[in-house]
Amino acid sequence: MEIMIPVWAQSAGAQIAKRHLSDLRGSRIALVDDNFDTPFTDRLEKLLSETHGAVVERLVKPLGSAASPKALIEQAAKAEAAIVGIGL
Amino acid sequence: MQKTDSLVVDDYEQAIELFYERGWTDGLPVVLPTRRLVDEMLARYGRDRHESLGAIPPKGGQATIEKLAINAVMGGCRPEHFPIVLAAFQALLAPEHNLNGVSQTTHMCVSLAIVNGPISRELNFNSRDGVFGNGYRSNGAVGRAVRLALWNLGGAVPWDTDKATLSHPGEYAFCIAEEEEDNPWEPLHVERGCPPGSDAVTVFACEGPHGVVCDGTPAEMLHGIADTMCALGNNNVHFGGQTLVIVNPQNAEEFAKGGWSKQDVRAYLWENARRRLSDVRACGAVHDRMRKTLQDTGRILARQYAENPTTRVPVTSKPEDIHIVVAGGRSYWAAVLPGWGSFGGYAATVQIKRQGG
Repeated sequence: MEIMIPVWAQSAGAQIAKRHLSDLRGSRIALVDDNFDTPFTDRLEKLLSETHGAVVERLVKPLGSAASPKALIEQAAKAEAAIVGIGL
Repeated sequence: MQKTDSLVVDDYEQAIELFYERGWTDGLPVVLPTRRLVDEMLARYGRDRHESLGAIPPKGGQATIEKLAINAVMGGCRPEHFPIVLAAFQALLAPEHNLNGVSQTTHMCVSLAIVNGPISRELNFNSRDGVFGNGYRSNGAVGRAVRLALWNLGGAVPWDTDKATLSHPGEYAFCIAEEEEDNPWEPLHVERGCPPGSDAVTVFACEGPHGVVCDGTPAEMLHGIADTMCALGNNNVHFGGQTLVIVNPQNAEEFAKGGWSKQDVRAYLWENARRRLSDVRACGAVHDRMRKTLQDTGRILARQYAENPTTRVPVTSKPEDIHIVVAGGRSYWAAVLPGWGSFGGYAATVQIKRQGG
C-alpha cells in the first residue's frame, strides 16, 4: 500500500552547526534580549563579559512572544555563538 | 521502497508503527494517508495541490494543500471536512493570532477552532451537550487534523519547540461548533463580519474550559462568570489580551428574556470582571516588569494599571476583546476559557470556501 508522507524532508545543509567554542574568553556572543526579564538578562550579560571575558553584543527583540526580525537574526548569526532567549 | 512524497509498506500494522517510529504522529494512532484517500480529498476540493497557504511556525514547513490533505486524512477527516481545515489554517496564519508564539509559549494556550454556519449542522458537528468532549467525528477529526498539521509541518513538538509547561488535552483536538438554532443572539462569525448564512471558522488560543455554575437571574449568572474571568491564575488579569466565555442555550435564553443583548452581557462583564491592582501586584514583581514591556509596546493600556488605590484592572483592554459563544446543553453550566494575554493568540475568523479554485 502506498502511504503519503505528512512532513517535508529536511533540506540538506539547512542546519549548519557552528564550531563549538573552546573558550568564552574573547569569543563574540550574541545575546538576544527577548524583553521578558531585563534584570536577568543584565546579570547574564555581566556574567559573560566580566567573569568570562566574552565580547557580548546585546540584541533587543521588540516583543518576546513574536519571532525576531530578520535583521536581528542575521546580526546574531555573525557571532560565534548566540543565546536566543529565555523561557518565562 | 520510498519515493520523495510517499512510501510503500506491506501491511497495516507495519505502517501504523512506522508513523510512530518516524515521529509523524502525536502519540495516538492515525488513519493511514493512502494515496487513494489523499487524492480523493484533493479531487473533491479541486485546488492545486502544490499551492501553499504559507509557512507554518515555528519550523516553517509550507502548508501546501497536499500536505494539509495528508494530515487531514490522518486526523480522520472526510473530503467534506477539508475546506474547514483549510479555513482554520488561514485563520491560524493571521498575524494577530501569532501562531509562532502560541506554539512555543510556556503558557498552556492551544488554538481552539469554532465552526459556524450551515456546514456545522450538515456535517453533524456537536454544538450541544458535551461540546468540548468526545463522541462526534467532525469535532474530533477537524480538531485533530489541525493539530497533526501543526505537529508535522510546523514542528510544534513538546520537549523541542513547544515549551508549554503543562499544556492541556486540546493539543490532541480542540474544535467545537457554536449552537446557532437554539440561540437568541447573532452568531460569532456574523458578529465578526461574515454574512448571515455563511460558513466560517474562528480560531482563538486559550486554556481549557473553566466551569462556572451559571443559574438564576442574569445578574446572578454574570456574577459567577465575571469572578471566574478575573482569577489571578490566568494571564488576562495580568496582561490583558482576549478571553472567551461560553454560555449554554438556556443561559442565553434567560439573558434574552431579561432583555439582555450579547453586547449588554459583554459590557457588564468588562465592567465587572476586574481585580484590585493591589491583588494583581501581590502576584510578584516579575509580572510588573512584563506588564511594563507590554505597556511600552502599546499592547496594554497603562492607564488600566495606574498606581491608584481605587484602580480595578479589567481582563481586557476593551469590551470587544471578550468573545461570547453559545454552546453546550441546556443546563446551569457556563465556561470561561482565558487567553494568552496580549502576547497574541487573538481570534481570527475566515469564511469557509466549500470548493477550491
